[in-house]
Amino acid sequence: MKTRVLLFVATVAARPPVIEAQHAAPLQSPGGHALTPRDSAAHALNRLAYGPRPGEIERVARAGVLRWIDAQLAPDKIDDDIVARREREFDILKYDRGDLARLYAEAQRARQERNRMGDTAADKPDNSPVAVKGRRFAAQVQQLAVVRAALSERQLYEVMVDFWTNHFNVYFAKGADRFLTPDYIEHTIRPHAMGRFADLLIATAQSPAMLFYLDNWESVAPGATPPVVERARRRAWINVGAQHAAPLPPARAPKGINENYARELLELHTLGVDGGYDQHDVIEVARIFTGWSIRRPQQGGDFEFHDWAHDTGDKQVLGIEFERGQEMDEGVRLLKLLADHPATMHHVSRKLCQRFVNDDPPDGCVDDAVAAWRRTHGDIREVLRAIFHGPDFWAATNMRAKVKTPLEFVVSAARAVAADPDTTPRLAQVVARLGEPLYLHVAPDGYPEREDAWVNSGALLDRMNAAVGLAAGRLPGAVATLDSIAPGTTDVQQLITAVDDRILGGTMSQNTKRVISEQLSDVKDPVQARALAVGLAIGGPEFQRQ
Amino acid sequence: MTISRRVFVKSGGLALFSLGLDPLFLARAAFAVRPSARPPDRRILVCLFQRGAVDGLNMIVPHGDPLYYRERPRIAVPGSDVVDLDGYFGLHPRLAALKPLWDSKRLAAIHAIGSSDATRSHFDAQDYMESGTPGVKATPDGWLNRYCQHDREHQDTPFRAVAFGPELPRILAGTAPSLAIADLQAFGLRAPQPAARDRLTRAFEELYAGSATGLLSTSSQEAFQAVQTLQRVDPTRYQPANGADYPRGRLGKAMLQIAQLIKADVGLQLAFADVTGWDTHVNQGASEGQLAARLAELGQALTAFAQDLGDKLDDVVVLTMSEFGRTVRENGNSGTDHGHATAMLVLGGPVNGGRMLGHWPGLDPANRFEGRDVAVTTDFRDLFAEVLARHLGARDLSAIFPGFTPDPARFPGAISA
Repeated sequence: MKTRVLLFVATVAARPPVIEAQHAAPLQSPGGHALTPRDSAAHALNRLAYGPRPGEIERVARAGVLRWIDAQLAPDKIDDDIVARREREFDILKYDRGDLARLYAEAQRARQERNRMGDTAADKPDNSPVAVKGRRFAAQVQQLAVVRAALSERQLYEVMVDFWTNHFNVYFAKGADRFLTPDYIEHTIRPHAMGRFADLLIATAQSPAMLFYLDNWESVAPGATPPVVERARRRAWINVGAQHAAPLPPARAPKGINENYARELLELHTLGVDGGYDQHDVIEVARIFTGWSIRRPQQGGDFEFHDWAHDTGDKQVLGIEFERGQEMDEGVRLLKLLADHPATMHHVSRKLCQRFVNDDPPDGCVDDAVAAWRRTHGDIREVLRAIFHGPDFWAATNMRAKVKTPLEFVVSAARAVAADPDTTPRLAQVVARLGEPLYLHVAPDGYPEREDAWVNSGALLDRMNAAVGLAAGRLPGAVATLDSIAPGTTDVQQLITAVDDRILGGTMSQNTKRVISEQLSDVKDPVQARALAVGLAIGGPEFQRQ
Repeated sequence: MTISRRVFVKSGGLALFSLGLDPLFLARAAFAVRPSARPPDRRILVCLFQRGAVDGLNMIVPHGDPLYYRERPRIAVPGSDVVDLDGYFGLHPRLAALKPLWDSKRLAAIHAIGSSDATRSHFDAQDYMESGTPGVKATPDGWLNRYCQHDREHQDTPFRAVAFGPELPRILAGTAPSLAIADLQAFGLRAPQPAARDRLTRAFEELYAGSATGLLSTSSQEAFQAVQTLQRVDPTRYQPANGADYPRGRLGKAMLQIAQLIKADVGLQLAFADVTGWDTHVNQGASEGQLAARLAELGQALTAFAQDLGDKLDDVVVLTMSEFGRTVRENGNSGTDHGHATAMLVLGGPVNGGRMLGHWPGLDPANRFEGRDVAVTTDFRDLFAEVLARHLGARDLSAIFPGFTPDPARFPGAISA
């Protein structure tokens, strides 16, 4: 490791004066590979952002890549008026959790009514007004993520929102999470996406969406009884008398401890599967979180601590004592402890390096990120800064080493053609068709960070179809502005140069140039020729990489 | 640089051959399963998921048990309507079309099968049935995909594992290549005219052949191979054989397309389809009604599939599954609530048919799960493992069902030895 650290210090010390200069001379990456300002701008735009829009590589290169990266690390200071305006078109943002809870309850009632009418033939969509509204909102929630990713000037922030949404995965289609997920994205993930990890962790632990998804809301100390059931029991006693005590209402009898959240908290959210905990720790963590629950949907579905359900004994996690009687504070203390645990630093840093550097993250990148985490107690911005300033981020072997995820592909394609997506869910539907529908990964691990999870033959064909459709203007709601790439022309060489330059950042292979030029040779219509060139480039192999 | 796991596994399989080790021999040695007469490459498994928890007691009716009638005064299927199978159990009347398959020993049913996990949540129970790991939520892949990862005897054609639906289901999620196909006719590049489509296909094929690297390269080769294959098959002209009449709707279409792929000999080994509408809390009906309509569709789809395949059914096993069963006693809305064990069907040439499988615990409240549901006497993994081992020749069952030790002694005997 020592040599790596030295190298890291040397490159960082040497780089900034070079890269910050206007029209900087090619800078040396650690491998001795020359990076032009354009190359580094394209790389940064592919990793910290959802790819360049036409002309953006030049703009970033001119302003200085490191300066642009620093600006991205302070999203609050970036004006994002376009997104703010577009957000106002999304009705879903006008509904708070209480509104959505009422809608959910209404939909439940309507479904029961429909069932009572015996009207549940499968394959026949429920077209009651409330069901239609529910579906429209769900589609909007997904499309909103795509729109923000495509249009926002705070690109790194949107990338991090996606990263954390996936790290702290919930499943949109599980029962009450249908109405809890929008609020989870808006008020749990987004406010903390570039803050402190501990704050984000606590926010997710107290979010109704996570409490419901991983069942912690119904985790109670063994033998604990909710006050409502207790009242019912006393009533039954009085009414019927001792000999004929009526059975308890079976519907919501408490079931005891549920370990789901505790296990995933340790395995996925913090320490990692090899993080040094055992089954005993899982149970103790579950005991600490007994009573972390949710109000009923009719009452808004907020987070609520139930002291009657809390396990009041002493607990011990990872060898650390949690004395009885601290109620909810036990959980908060545990979360802070986990957030600053070395295993957590390593596990989360590793995932960040996977996302930003390579599917097989280099040890040096992880070490740099962990060091920054330790120094700043989990300031996410500083961890990211360490990654982006480290030698691995700029190493030639890691350039274009990653294949875009479905979301990254769709958003980068929309940006490449300067599309201005509206609230119709077309682009979100394409993301789903490519294999990773937003907020719909069932298991708590989130979509994997490795390419073999999303690269497959069917999905590749769908990428090609999406590319051709987008370029030809066949995706209503996401109209391409191809004039920003090239004027309509039948001058094949001019088209290829423009597409290579403005969409592929100069990475177009000789083979791709040859194929596109052959395809264009007999296309007489200049607009068609341009659409075909753009479609082939975006559907082709170079554009799949970042 | 990442070496794609897929490429690695492929070459690993080749290395085994070049060392002169016969994987088939390993299979027999490890599992003491009698080898099948046919090469394993031809054998096909079709999984059909009844999402929503089918009422096993009204699908395969215990009409010989008076308790069944006592517990379900409004929704029991009258004995006179039941299509008797063995004097105690019988088919729901709307499944009558399946009786000839039972008589020709190509259909078996198993009762009291289910999960080792007690959850009554559709979400969790479906997840467990597809991941193959009840109680463990973090399992990243599905058991059908793990089968593909671990059994390398079968060639990875692009059509090895296909789910019929818009998205890849959990059961097929994982690192082994698998396809989700909403409609065979729309698979491939889309363009207004066939000539334009063919041209676009060639253009992309050349783009990827010339410049793609790594997994992009192998996957694109698979993709264009698949497109070519389908062009040869021409799904638009398909006519079901032997007068097979598939029901309208998604299930019928999926079964038709599965039959089509089987007959086209494109290397299909695993097919998956699902059908919803089984969550009958209210007005479930008896011989007629809501559940009867669902069962009629299921019966017609399975019968048409068997007819359509003809002799090809000798290589095929269809396995139905559902996340759990429903309460023994009907509820206040003439329906049934979430229960525990349910019934499954196993259909096809290799099936040890004409028999009820498993151990019937009876409906006596003392033998019920938590006093209300049919108890699970067969872990669903024992049935799934048997089908994988005896039908498809799977060797590494403990890798396919981690945390579970499959034991041939517990196999329900669904596949003829």
